[in-house]
Order: sequence, then structure tokens, then C-alpha cells
Amino acid sequence: MRNTLIILLIAVSGFSFGQNYENILLVNGNLHVGNGEVVQSALIGIKNGKIDLIKNSLAYTYDKEDWDTIIDLKGQQIYPGFMAPNTTLGITEIDAVRATKDFDEVGIFNPHVRTQIAFNVESKVISTVRTNGVLLAQPTPRGGIISGSSAIMKLDGWNWEDATIAASDGIHLNWPSSLSGGGWWAEPKPKTLNKDYSKQKDKIYAFFRMAKAYANTTKNDKKDARMEAMRHCFKGKKRVYIHANELQQLLDAIDFSREFDLAFPVIIGGYDSHLIAQQLIDAKIPVMLVRPHSLPENEEDDVDLPYKLPALLSAAGVKFCIQNQGDMEAMNTRNIPFLAGTAMAYGLSEEDAISAVSLWSCEITGVSESYGSIEKGKSATLFVSTGNALDMRTNKVTLGMIDGQFIDLENSQYKLYKKYEKKYAQQKKD
Amino acid sequence: MRILFVLLFSLLVSLSFSQIKPNNGAATSKPAYYALKNATIYISPGRIVNNATLLIKDDKIIDVGKGVKTPKDAVFIDCEGKIILPAFIELNSNIGMPELKKKAYTGRPQYESSKKGSFYWNEAIHPEVDANLIYTSDAKKNEALIKMGFGYALTRQQDGVAQGNAAFVALTDGAKSLLPNPELSSYFSFKKGNSRQSYPSSQMGSIALLRQLFYDAAWYKESAKDKNLSLESLNNQLNGSLIFSTTDKLEILRANKIAHEFDLSFNYIGSGNEYEVIDQLMDLNSTLILPINFPKPYDVENPYVSRQIPLSDLKHWEMAPMNPMLLKQRGIDICLSSMQQKTAKDFWSNLRSAILHGLSVEDALNALTVQPSIITGVSEAVGTLDAGKFASFIIYDKSPFEESAKVLESWILGEQKVYAEKVNNDIAGKYNLIIQEKKFPVEIKGNSAKYSGKLTYQYQGEESLQDSTVKMKVIANENNVTLQFNIADTSWTGSVTLQGKSNPKFGVFEGEGMLPTGEWVKWTAVKTKKGDTKKKKKSTVVKDTLNYSWFPNMAYGFDSIPQPETIVIENATLWTNEEEGIVKNATIILKNGKIDFIGTGNYRTPNGARVIDAKGKHVTSGIIDEHSHIAISKGVNESGQAISAEVRIGDVINSDDINIYRQLSGGVTASQLLHGSANPVGGQSALIKLKWGHTTEEMLIPNADNFIKFALGENVKQSNWGSANKIRFPQTRMGVEQLYLDGFTRANVYAKEMADFKKDGGSKPRIDLELEALSEILQSNRFITCHSYVQSEINMLMHVADSLGFKVNTFTHILEGYKLADKMVEHGVGGSTFSDWWAYKFEVNDAIPYNAALMSKQGVVVAINSDDAEMGRRLNQEAAKGVKYGGMSEIEAWKMVTLNPAKLLHLDDRMGSLKKGKDADVVIWSDNPLSILAKVEYTIVDGEILYSQENDLLLRKRNQAEKARIISKMLADETPKDEKRAFIKKKQGHYHCNTIGEEMSTGANHH
Repeated sequence: MRNTLIILLIAVSGFSFGQNYENILLVNGNLHVGNGEVVQSALIGIKNGKIDLIKNSLAYTYDKEDWDTIIDLKGQQIYPGFMAPNTTLGITEIDAVRATKDFDEVGIFNPHVRTQIAFNVESKVISTVRTNGVLLAQPTPRGGIISGSSAIMKLDGWNWEDATIAASDGIHLNWPSSLSGGGWWAEPKPKTLNKDYSKQKDKIYAFFRMAKAYANTTKNDKKDARMEAMRHCFKGKKRVYIHANELQQLLDAIDFSREFDLAFPVIIGGYDSHLIAQQLIDAKIPVMLVRPHSLPENEEDDVDLPYKLPALLSAAGVKFCIQNQGDMEAMNTRNIPFLAGTAMAYGLSEEDAISAVSLWSCEITGVSESYGSIEKGKSATLFVSTGNALDMRTNKVTLGMIDGQFIDLENSQYKLYKKYEKKYAQQKKD
Repeated sequence: MRILFVLLFSLLVSLSFSQIKPNNGAATSKPAYYALKNATIYISPGRIVNNATLLIKDDKIIDVGKGVKTPKDAVFIDCEGKIILPAFIELNSNIGMPELKKKAYTGRPQYESSKKGSFYWNEAIHPEVDANLIYTSDAKKNEALIKMGFGYALTRQQDGVAQGNAAFVALTDGAKSLLPNPELSSYFSFKKGNSRQSYPSSQMGSIALLRQLFYDAAWYKESAKDKNLSLESLNNQLNGSLIFSTTDKLEILRANKIAHEFDLSFNYIGSGNEYEVIDQLMDLNSTLILPINFPKPYDVENPYVSRQIPLSDLKHWEMAPMNPMLLKQRGIDICLSSMQQKTAKDFWSNLRSAILHGLSVEDALNALTVQPSIITGVSEAVGTLDAGKFASFIIYDKSPFEESAKVLESWILGEQKVYAEKVNNDIAGKYNLIIQEKKFPVEIKGNSAKYSGKLTYQYQGEESLQDSTVKMKVIANENNVTLQFNIADTSWTGSVTLQGKSNPKFGVFEGEGMLPTGEWVKWTAVKTKKGDTKKKKKSTVVKDTLNYSWFPNMAYGFDSIPQPETIVIENATLWTNEEEGIVKNATIILKNGKIDFIGTGNYRTPNGARVIDAKGKHVTSGIIDEHSHIAISKGVNESGQAISAEVRIGDVINSDDINIYRQLSGGVTASQLLHGSANPVGGQSALIKLKWGHTTEEMLIPNADNFIKFALGENVKQSNWGSANKIRFPQTRMGVEQLYLDGFTRANVYAKEMADFKKDGGSKPRIDLELEALSEILQSNRFITCHSYVQSEINMLMHVADSLGFKVNTFTHILEGYKLADKMVEHGVGGSTFSDWWAYKFEVNDAIPYNAALMSKQGVVVAINSDDAEMGRRLNQEAAKGVKYGGMSEIEAWKMVTLNPAKLLHLDDRMGSLKKGKDADVVIWSDNPLSILAKVEYTIVDGEILYSQENDLLLRKRNQAEKARIISKMLADETPKDEKRAFIKKKQGHYHCNTIGEEMSTGANHH
């Protein structure tokens, strides 16, 4: 028992955040690995920020001496840290205040601008996202044809450097719409087929041809910032995230990926992807699905179509994950667990729903070697909830850690809550 | 009497002009009589006479029919084989009106009228504009209308809400074109047109403006001291014919509500989808002026494209040509208009389409002639070709009701105009051309518009004579023929030109011509074979005229209007929201739209009841969304003024919004439709039940209390509207307080004046709809739902209310309510909030998701609302967040979307819980409704099953089948490909609190 701190985790503030613990053992939790497996009464050993041990406590006896901290989870649920892919979290703070927006740069082809260095680790919004179990994010630029390069970030850190998991995981290509018009909201015009569609496609092809040729040269005295940023899309692991929803767009995006022999193309959106599942499978293109909490696009679409898209893709065998782009997306990032929950209610299995916001997101973004599931050798990035984290009634995070470091569970909103709770308690006394 | 007088007057006018106008040279005379003989004359609808004569003198018809005695000095015109129709009357026209120029857009809002003078305060109101004074005849436009068959138009400046007087004109170019108006006709619409004034910015604003206008006109007549040209003109117009121009079927019903309020009677210019509300239109007693610009078929060959065409568009495409027939069939008087048709070809093919779709020729003609003449009060003089009426008619080569026909002549007020050249003889065929005993085989192809020919001659080849065939120019004009060809035969080399006459009876040409040699010769040509006259196969088109309309006529619409059922729900877990709490293994019976039985005791299953086994299911009262902006047409904000208490959301409910059905699928049964938050005092709310398939009026909750939307903070001070919007008061929270104090002070004075008038009489004060609504608040007869965020402003409004002796009913959004819940309890105000929204604008910086729990704990009645069509479908999930943030009990959390909003809307005596006698608004859930796994299995409103999982699956299949059916019909349509419509997809936007203007937002919103 020497030096061993045993914490019975009941309340939110059971232990102190910021303190260094090197050998941590979580006992008695129900582990959702993230890869579909469940380990009941799990023992999870964490050493130097990494998962060192995963066992079933019924079949394994541990030596208390090996651990400086042992936390009894008393049957609570353990999840890998969820990821928020394709989000403006951390690069915007208040939607209506322009001064806080850092996601839309001037220019049409901007692969060289990168979100990593604009990422605000101290964002108040982030503090409210972590506490629901979302511990990783892919801050993503918007606008233009190529918006820029996204990064994979931990939602805790002293600065963007130590929050970085992947500096520039991919570029974001906004595929032109095969429909045009629509006017603006005060003077809408009907949407029709986009007459310039093929011209706009040509522009993208031209840019990629140039970039591919450039990538074939190793030395270039006159470095072109754009082309340099594109280099690893052809020779490396940099993803090409193609934002597309309509059937025509998706089919053309598949052709495009083939034409340039892209190693890691990804569709973001994919509202119509369930209609061409086999083609996506054949082309090995995964999909970051449109926010499940969105309205159907067309009048006669099934009223629950966005809810069940994850289940449809799962049944068809398409690789996918869930993302959250849309109205108030930064603050809504904290609802990502419930997007997975809705997907579960509409046909996805519980463990698949978890994978859809953890392991699969990490696989698609290329960081699954260390993140996305609770497996030996991976980073200890996980959280514990008293109940099912995918249900808002029972999502109550009592412990969270990123790379083995405990996170603060008292965000600014919780502090205000406590402050005013106190006010009223005080009034009652008086 | 008046009509008779006018007739005489018009006669005088026509006579007097020829005397007044000075002559240039010797005076010309016209023949005394014209007699058009041997024609087929449509004298009036249903009266068609063959081989008839029409006798005209000056601009009048003297006699018509068979055996008409023609005077000796009549000029005869042979109309054999021709058709004469009375000239049509166009009732929706701006022909001859000066072009309107819109003032340049400056970006800066304009809050006051820029029109100087004694006019109405709003630039969209200009009844003083008189088309008679600004009309100039436009020959080109006249001809375009005449080619469609029209001879008259009721024309006006098509601009604004009160547009002004129309002029009844004949489509002639002379000084006679302006006919005196037997009936003063004036036009109205909901569109503000060229006015740059900010108000009205929404359809409900236009409606309020019109209502205020009619009140002002009545008041002006009785009590006004200052002269106002606009009101004076309007008061004159109200005695005449009033025509209301609409762009949607629902606008007709909206305008009719105004007509009803002021005891007026409008006739309506429709938009083509009136068949969808036919039952409601039958009570109107109005004439509908209908467009026949039926939608073209879509190009549906590409399935990627066709799957995106909204089903409602496809259904409308199918039904639109039946619109005139269906209305007529139900006894509604109709006129037909050429509006939005570019060419005569389009107009006539659409008219024939209406006829193929069941409208009789008689009714079609009536709708173009007699009915318009009746509503313009000129039926004694125009509309038919009876003796004594104006000689205005069109002569066609064939019956245009049956096939494409040419306009040969128009006679408007007795003035003849000839359009098409005389019909040429058909000379196509094979001939032998004989010149100086040489015989050349000739072939002429084409038709009277253009001929081409070939001629074959022989020349000396190397060994023998050989044939050569050359082109021959053929020009035919009436019975003159010109032929030209080049030749190089055995004797002639060069050009041969021949001129001659044709004699079609014998198939012979003869004439003179010149040879290459310069020799002048005679020639003849004798027909050997008739040309191939490509007779179009007259396909006997039998059009499908079944009424396929649904309720509403779009995806997920019902085949018939839903009816309440008797329903027994057994073995259920009931969330009663009453003292009993959650009751297991219980039964609930719905009968006559009410809850008839609830409990675990014995009951008798009523006869014919539908029994639902709800074992393992949870049953709750329906969700009530305290803050919604669905099902609203053309503007959720009247942002043109800081106070717009006069506008009413209830005026612009849209029963066709697919989001009604989508909310039902999420268990919502009632909603408060709120005005937006663009101004400190918004508009009056509408409390509706989500009665999908019903009319807008049936959706409104009867005998509900009156509510109104107020708003505070960033939106009302236009913080996020860009730098051009810094003009409207208020621009700070300081100003907002003073605006309220001033508004309520004026309302107080107004209420007192009204009360004094009622008590003591005297001169009647001007009815002011804005102050009327504000004074209702002071009298606790209207209740405020106030958009609010930060504690300072919340506190302020409670102080304003306290100082004036009323209570604020509800703060909505109220994201800092937790900071002053104690004060809210003291004031007695409820809070309707979001579960967890924040970070979308600066004033929500201190918003916390624990807000609902904290307020609730202090005793505030708390609701969770959507303000968002998407979230409205899963308010159960949002309520569940009350458990997560702040630890509310499940029962209390559930009440936040049911009983509590019912309380805030003063509807808890009939909704919000499961209790005998309350409305049968019930939802059956697959699971605990707060669970993420919960799905709605049934949503029942007033005892009607408006959503069920089972039926939803059927409707999905039916939608697909319907789409496939119509698409295959479209593919079979013979419209040429280039005339088909490219695919059009409606991007559906949504209203949010801060959506400005009539159209929905698709962009980001800041609530």
C-alpha cells in the first residue's frame, strides 16, 4: 500500500487534475475498447501515458505495489476518447464575432494554410467539449476550393505544439456542386444543374496535375508554398478530404481519386453515399458522414434518413465515421456522443456507434496507431462515464485523460453553475 | 342604368372624335357597313353558328347570324372556312403603363416615405395612381395580345400593396383605345413592389398594412381634417371592383380574411394551385382570374436528376392543367389570363391543354370573354358578338380551340387589321414543265411558307444523253409563281426565269419567261402527282383527368383528410404528468378527440375502437414546442419598424410545410409559432396544433389566449446586421428600455381615448392596430414571450412591466435566467430555454447548460424549446439533458417539453398531461421518452393518428410509386426536349429568430 493512492470514483472531483501520476490502474470498469470489443470488469494499466495492460479482473490478479494510483470505477463505463472530425472547434470562439473566426482564408487554392498553428488550446468552448468525452479534434479550414490543411489535435495542452497529434493530416477540397443557383437567402432562385460544373472540375484537375508533377521533383529551388503543401497527398500519408454530398459529386470524386491515384481519399458529407455503397467500397473511399442531427435534404426523403445513414453505410460495408459540421458546430461538438447515440437508436450496434466516433474517426484521419481505441501500446486517451455515454441521460463523465494526463472536469460553465447554486443556497440561509 | 348611360357616352365619344380631329387634306370616309360572310361565328359561349354573317357599322355590331339582311352599301368580306371569336379580355395586364424604375439600392434602410405630398405614409400604398392618366397605346404589345385572341385589357401599374385604378382599354392604336370605365377597378397585392421603404418586409407586414389602411380609410371618411389623396382615392375605389393579385393559393385565403373583416369583396388573380384548397374557395363568392402557364415537364431522362425533383413539383405538374376545370366543376367562377406567357403559341397550347384536361370550350370562352366582362361591369358592351355590342373580334383560319391556328385579322372597335398574308395556294407536287416543246420533270416541295424545287434536264454526255437534276427556286405569292433555274442542256446554257399564274383547280401553271438566249417565251406546267401533304396524325388524346391531390399535395400527404378515431391504448406505461406520476400497465382511451378514460381499472372497449397494445411502450402527452418558426409563409420577422405589434403570425400560417410532418415524427403535437427577434416588439404569435393534412384555420388552437413576441439584446439593436444598419432606434440596451416606456405610454393614452369614446361618444379616434395590441398587453389581455439573453435586460423588462402594472409571461432563450431566477419567481415569469446552446454570439457568453435545472429549482416554470426545425424533432433528447446537466428527475425533465410549455401558453387546462377530459394529443414511444433509444411509434393529435411508424413506411413506398408514376407520364409527354424544364431543386431554408425578409435562411444563424 506504500505510495499507492486509491481513489473511489464517485463524484466529479475525486482527484486533482494536473498532478502527475505515472502508473495508474483503472479497475472495475466496463471497457468499450472502441474496436467492437467489450471487456467487463476490466483492469487497465497505464504507464507513462500509454496503455500497458488490459485484463479481465476475474482472470487476472494484480500486484498493488506495481501501481502508484489505483482507481476503482465501480462498474462505470470506459470509452476511448471520442474524436470531433471536420470541425471549426478551436479555430473559432463566438460564431457571430468575426474577430474570433480563424477558419476561412482569402484565396481559392489554399492547401498551404494550416489550422494547427491557429488552434486555441485555451478555448472556453473546448473546455465544455472535453467534459462530455470528446478528447480529440480535427480543426478544419473552410472556404474556397481547397480550404487548407487540417490537423489532428488533442483537446488539452499548454500550446498548439504539445496538443498536436498530426500537424497536417490532409487537405480539404470542396467539390463543386453539380447544382447551381439558389440565389441568396433574401432572393432565392431555383436551383438548376450547374452549367459550369465541368469547368469547375477542370480547374481542380488542372491544379492537381500541376501538384502531382511538382511532387515528382525532389529538389526545387523556387519553393511553391501551395505545391509543397500538396506534395504529401501524392507521396505520403496526407489525406485528400473531398467535401461532397450529391450523387453526381460522389461519383465524380471517385473518378477523380482514381485519376490521381490518391492513396487516402476521404469523402466528407456523403448524404447520397448510401446509394453507391459498392462503388465506395471498390474505390476504398471512407466517408465522414453528414451530421446525423440534420434535416432530410429532400421533401420525400425518409424523415429519419440522416439518423439512419450510419446504419445504412454500416450494413453496406462502407468505412465511415460521424462528424458534426453544421449550425453552431463548435459548441455542438460536445453533442458528438449523442450523434452516435441517435445512430445507435436507428440501427447501429452500440459498439459500432462508439467506433464511429472513436476508432473509425482515427483510422480515417490516420492517427489510429496511437488513438481511437483502448488497446495495449496506444495512448491512454479515454474517459469514464457513470452510464452509457451515448445517451444524454446517462452521459456523466467522472474521469478523463489524454495521453495519461487527467483533464479538468470543471469547465467554466460548471463553475458558473456552482457559483449561482451557492447564491441561492446563501439566500435560503438568510 | 349606369351601364346604359356609359354605352351612350361611349358612342358619343367615338362619334365626336372624327369631328374634333382636324383633317389633313380632304376628309376621308369609311364604308357605312361591313358584312363578314360565310364564317363560323362563336357569338357567345355555347352559341356557334356556321355560315353566318356579321354585319358591322362603325364600331358596333348591327346584326349577326344566318340570314342577316345586308344593306346595299355594305362592303362584303368572304370568310369561308374561317372562325370568328369575340375578342378576349385580359384582366391582369400592365399594357401601356410607363416602365417603373426602382430607386437605386443604397444599403441603408429607409424608414420613412420618400414621396412628398399629401399621400399615405407608406410608399407601397398608392391608390391614387390612376392608369387612365398614364396609359399610352403600345402597338407592339397590342399585337402580341391580339395574337393570343385578346381585344381588351384592364391595365394598371402592377406595383405595390394598394396599386391604384385600372384603365379598361381596347387594344387599338388610336385615340379611342381608352374606354371609359363602367366600373372603377382597383388592384391590391401583398407585394410592396418598388417601394424602398423598409416596412413592410414580410407578408404579415403587408397584411397589417392593408388592414390599417382600410381602418384609416373609414376613419378618414368620418373624421379626418387634413386632405389625403391616397385615402380619398381608396374610399372611391371601395365602391367599385376590387381585384387582389396573389402568388399562392393561401394568399387568396389570407386576403379573404381581410375582405371579411372590412365587409369587402375581392376578386382574385390566382397562381395556378387553387385546386389544392378548392373546398375553402367555394365559400368565397369571388371570381378567380387564373393563369394557364402550366408547368412544362421536367427533363427526367437522367435518373440522378429526376430523383431530386420534389414530389410536390411533380404532383403540381400533373394537376396544374386541371386547375380551371376543377374550379369550374365546383361552381367557382373563373377568368383565364395570359399572364406569364410569352407567345401566342404558348398561350393557345396551354389553353388547349386546359380543354384536353376537361374544361369545356364553352367554359373556356366564357372565362375569356363573358366572365371578365361581368366583373369589370362592361358586359352590356363587350364579351359577345351580339347585336349592339362593340365590333371587337378576331378571325382565325381554323378553330384555335382544336389545333394551332393563325390570326388572320383583328377587328377591335370596328377597326380592321390584317395580319397574315392571304393563304397561298398549295402548289407542292410533281409537274411536267413545258417550254418550247421541251419537257422537264419538276418537283416542288414545301408549303405555303416556303417552297423549294428540283428540275431535271438532259444533256449530251460522252456517249449518250444523260440526266441532270438542278435546284429550282420557287416563289409563290397568292396565285403568282416565280420559277428560276440554271440549265446547261443541249441547246440552252444559263439562267431561265419564269413568271406565271397557277390554277390549282386544274393543277396547271402558265405564263411567260426568259430563256438564257434572251428569248421571251410562253410556258406551262401540268401536275402529274400531288405533293405529299404531311397530315399530322390526329392522335385522339385522352388526358387523364383524375384528381390525384393529396392533403397536403406533396410527399407524406394523406389520401383523404384525417379524422379522429376512438383509440384504446392498452398495457402502457403512462407518463401522466399528474399526481399519479408514471403508471404502469395502464390503459388510455381516446374518444371524440379527448381523453375519455385513463387508469388501471376496468373499462369497456368502445365499439369500433382501434386497439393498440402498448406493452413495453411508453405513452405521454404530446410534446409542445414553446418556440417554433416552422409552417410560416414569407417572413418570420417584420423588421421594418422597431415596434410591429400589429403583425400576426396567424395570418401567414403555411399548412404545406414538410416540417410539420417531421415534427410529428418526433412526437410534437402543438407549437407556438413566434415572430422573430428583429425588433423590440415583434408580432402576435400563433398557437397551432400540428394538424398535418388540415387547413391553416383548422391548425389554429381555438380560444387560445393572445400572445406576442418581444425581443431584447443584440438582434433588436441590430448588432450583427452590418454597418449600414445604424439608423433605427434603438441601437443600445438603453434605447430598448425607452422604446418600451414610450410605446406603452402611447398605448395607455390610446386606450383611454378609446374608452372615453365608447363612454361619451364624440369624434372617433383613429384605430391604430399597433397601439391596440400594446394596450391589450397593459390590460393583461395579451401575453409577452420575450427573447432575452443577459440578466441586465431581463431585469429591465420586468421593471418596465412592474411599473406599468402587467406581468411578462415568458422569457424565451433566457440563457442567463439562472442568474436571476429569484427575481423571475418574484415577478411570476416563466422561462423557455435551450438545453445547451451557447457560443453563437457574444451575449451568450455566460450561457450554461445547467440553466434549466437552476431556474427550475428556484421555482420558475421552465420549458425547453427548439427555435429550430431540426431540433424540434427530438425535443425529448433535449429534455433529457436536464437530467445530465443539473440532475433533474426524469419526470421534471419530461415536463419541460409537455406540461410546462402548456402552462406557459395557458393551455394546461387542455394539454400537457394525460388526464380525462384533456385533448387527445398523445404519443406512443418505443422506450422511455428521455432515452436516446426512444422512437415515436404513434403521434395522435385531437384523436387523429397523424403519424405512425407503420403508416410512415407505407407513405414512403407510396411516395416512390407516385413519383415513378408521374415520371413515366412525363417521359411519355411529347413536349420537345428543348422545351422541357431543366431540373429545379428547391433548397429549403428555415426561419430562425433573426431571419430577415420574406425568404428563408439557408446560412448560419445566430438566433
